[in-house]
Amino acid sequence: MPHRTFIAFILPSALAMLIFIALPIVSVVVQSLFIEHERVMVTAENCGPFGCKKESHVDEAATAELRRDQPLGRFNGLGTYLDRKHLAAKEVREAFAEASGPIDFLTRVGSLPLYKALGFTLAYTFVVTPLVLILGFMIALAVNALPYFVKGPVIFASLLPMIITPLIGSLILFWMIDANGIIGASLQALFNDPDLSLKASPTLTWITLMVYGVWHSAPFAFVVFYAGLQTLPHDTLESAMIDGANRFERIRFVVLPHLMPLAIFVGLIQLMDNFRVFEPIVGFNAGASATSLSYAIYTDLRSTGAPLFGSAAATSMLTIIGICILMAPVLVRTWRDFKRRH
Amino acid sequence: MATISLKNVSKKWAGFTGVDALSLDIADGEFLVLLGPSGCGKTTTMRMIAGLETISDGEIWIGDRVVNTLEPKDRDIAMVFQSYGLYPTMSVYENIRFPLRVRKVPRETHHERVMRAAAMVELGDFLERRPAALSGGQRQRVALARAIVRQPTVFLMDEPLSNLDAKLRVSTRAQIKNLHHELKTTTIYVTHDQIEAMTLADRVVVMNRGIVQQVGTPMQIYDRPANTFVAGFIGSPAMNLIEGDIRSGVFTATNMRVEGLAGMPDGPVTLGFRAEDAGVADRGGQISAPVYSMELLGDASMVTVQCGKALAAVKTPKDFRIAIGAPVGITVPASICHFFDARSGHRIEHPGKD
Amino acid sequence: MSVLTAKTSPWMRGAAIGFITLWLLMAAFPFVWTLWGSFKVQGDFFSRQDWLNALYGVQTLAETGSSFTGRGYYGAWVEREFWRSVINTGIVTGFVVVISLTFGTLGGYALSRSTARYAFWILIAALIFRAMPHITLLSGYLLPFFQLGVWGYLSTAIIVLVAINQPFTIWMLNSFFQTIPKDLDESAMVDGCSRFQAFRLVIIPVMWPGVITTGLFSFLLAYNDFAVTAVLLSQENQTMVPKIASFMGSTQVQGNVMFAVSAVVSATVPLFILVLFFQRHIVSGLTAGAVKG
Ligand SMILES: Nc1ncnc2c1ncn2[C@@H]1O[C@H](COP(=O)(O)OP(=O)(O)OP(=O)(O)O)[C@@H](O)[C@H]1O
Ligand SMILES: [Mg+2]
Repeated sequence: MPHRTFIAFILPSALAMLIFIALPIVSVVVQSLFIEHERVMVTAENCGPFGCKKESHVDEAATAELRRDQPLGRFNGLGTYLDRKHLAAKEVREAFAEASGPIDFLTRVGSLPLYKALGFTLAYTFVVTPLVLILGFMIALAVNALPYFVKGPVIFASLLPMIITPLIGSLILFWMIDANGIIGASLQALFNDPDLSLKASPTLTWITLMVYGVWHSAPFAFVVFYAGLQTLPHDTLESAMIDGANRFERIRFVVLPHLMPLAIFVGLIQLMDNFRVFEPIVGFNAGASATSLSYAIYTDLRSTGAPLFGSAAATSMLTIIGICILMAPVLVRTWRDFKRRH
Repeated sequence: MATISLKNVSKKWAGFTGVDALSLDIADGEFLVLLGPSGCGKTTTMRMIAGLETISDGEIWIGDRVVNTLEPKDRDIAMVFQSYGLYPTMSVYENIRFPLRVRKVPRETHHERVMRAAAMVELGDFLERRPAALSGGQRQRVALARAIVRQPTVFLMDEPLSNLDAKLRVSTRAQIKNLHHELKTTTIYVTHDQIEAMTLADRVVVMNRGIVQQVGTPMQIYDRPANTFVAGFIGSPAMNLIEGDIRSGVFTATNMRVEGLAGMPDGPVTLGFRAEDAGVADRGGQISAPVYSMELLGDASMVTVQCGKALAAVKTPKDFRIAIGAPVGITVPASICHFFDARSGHRIEHPGKD
Repeated sequence: MSVLTAKTSPWMRGAAIGFITLWLLMAAFPFVWTLWGSFKVQGDFFSRQDWLNALYGVQTLAETGSSFTGRGYYGAWVEREFWRSVINTGIVTGFVVVISLTFGTLGGYALSRSTARYAFWILIAALIFRAMPHITLLSGYLLPFFQLGVWGYLSTAIIVLVAINQPFTIWMLNSFFQTIPKDLDESAMVDGCSRFQAFRLVIIPVMWPGVITTGLFSFLLAYNDFAVTAVLLSQENQTMVPKIASFMGSTQVQGNVMFAVSAVVSATVPLFILVLFFQRHIVSGLTAGAVKG
């Protein structure tokens, strides 16, 4: 395809991505180097009947004007990255010096906001992704074995958790696990513990969120695997049968290699989607015991009063770097494939 | 109608040359066949002429224009694709009409033209079907009809008969020949079937690994192959090629001795002769060796002997019989021999012949 | 598939059926339960005495005189003007799907037909963009959008969602178009079409399976989005999802949580209908090559 034609075709899409994805990244980088203005203080001498007192108070008008003139705030270099809410250089160094052992060190670091969010994000990603793949594959196999006439309704029901709005899906489950909801109440009855609450304990909250994650994403893995099972290469399977492969060998040498690219596809998408886990935390109102990187950015942006642009931008940058590191093996592999083909 | 010239045309992909410095002049109204083994660059050459592949180097002229950067639609060509390229959502009728539609040919003439083209390839009964409901041969005929519905200046046909059965292939071949005779449109035709090449072509281009080996009329290619590749590719069976030495007008190789080659330089050489030119000798003969195999072809019998590493085949009358292993003599007079440089494979003319 | 099921023992079959039943219960029950509960009062749906009350509607009967009530729906749709958000969601979703697919088919087609090296790099860039959490981009938008005075409008959210959706769309469609033989558009070009005409006359008629599947995913992205719409839309332009989240902010008020429950049910209905109609396309479209990327 001539370059001119190619450009004409790709232009709308490329422009959209350039202006609304690439440029915002630049904007994030810039913002992360700035920090909000401090409020302008004025000191006034207040003389009353008992002598004069120096008082300082916020000059609202001046503050507002300053904010309007320089909306970015003031330059802070890498300061935001290193402060307590982000990489917490000082606190980590202290923890390293004072910690009695590696466990203690990790607990101390783990209680710092960014590391806490990172910890949950990674745990969620690496627990949910494999479980989704396994559960999705099992459902696909089971559905595939069903008689034709029930397949339709079963697939329909199985897709529901995937298409449901994440926030709404988590709200639905949240209401059910409420101490007065059906699951919460049943669990209390089951364990005979009237104070049992899935919302109270951090561990139980983590587990609930992960269960929700698997429930929400397993259908996606299921449809992809199911679609893959429908396109099994029948002539290859038959020639394998003629070549004398038994059932196990046919699965091992024909079916699995056929499904492998699909597993990689699902795994990759899941990795990306789980790393951005956010809505369930809002839906489950779980911000107290589990925060993710996305959630941390959201709270900064929606913080009452003025949004903390600098802080949100710094967390965003760290998040982008994080996902790039996670994706690195994939990118390297794609690049190698490409080089081999050309 | 138009002439076509290719001037040093090359196609390179990163690290691989598909077509290498190809130069060719095709006369107005000529039927040119590109012939060569699979992967030699025939389709690539044709796609460059059609404008579907960018040209890495060189110039292509159609008529008096350089068309290097011209879009396919502006080159006024029609093409039959190796894999048909039919439009699955359109009926056969609409498929054939498509070129007329997009080229804004007056509407009134469409029906008549489509029907004429369909009749030429005997598709009249299938006009309302979709391509998916046709056999491979029928699809190929739709592709042909779509190419001939309009009068382009150039026809490009990429193995248009490859999926037809033997009988249909012969009759469609005749149709194409007749069509060309009627329309006199410059045609480039790709095949790796030599009989097609021999029967259809005004001139044949033999290619190998992206390089033109020889350009000539079918007879020239057959009678005076330019090198050992052409000699070994054209003809059925291909020419026998035997490596040996010439010393003072005498060629010698294992089991073989040919005299009367005065004027040929001394040194190693490859000798070639065609199976149908040679014969079994009553006595003596230039080759004497035990029979290696004996095949009955119906209209003839083929006797094969070994000359060193090479096999030499000879056509004999159909009732000739001989046991495998029995000694046989074969006549290979100097007049039927072709000589090729032992190293480069290029033809060496020998003064003794015609 | 015979290869997988042939000669399965009845025991295995039983286990498979048990497993699938359990899964179906997990997948569908929450929806049935919430739909049922949305017609009760809060005292039943979150019953302090006995969750069975939610089944029978004891409190509902006591409070409204009937065991089903539409109070939650009335509250959400009329009192809290949920219908405005429904309209907004309709606008946002419709435009996002149409624009995404228009841009995406053009771009995906070009990528699938280009052999140039830059096509590969565009796909890699798209992959990285797809990987970035949406909310990281939001912090990039907010300040410039405030400065330019475009914050809060539906059109802003639409164009942002289109852009965020592009990477996935062009990946899916690129791999789908690769399964359509190149001969098709090439013969059209020889027959006299420009590249764009070939796309319009020959490719568009055969691209619907891939486009419908991709469109479904675009629809879900736009319809289900919370992060972008919550941060970029002003109060009066809110779409359904952030609106529902805002109900939650005031759950303490007795009865309000039932507004949220009814709104949730209302928002789920279109999704159900969608799957009902397009279920086949999800599977067949994925089969038709979209998953091979
Ligand atoms: N896009 C491409 N990139 C790299 N190499 C290519 C490409 N297309 C074709 N080739 C190579 O160029 C060579 C010539 O291909 P071409 O299709 O012209 O062969 P052909 O003579 O038509 O063969 P056949 O008779 O089998 O159709 C082949 O070796 C092929 O592998
Ligand atoms: Mg070819």
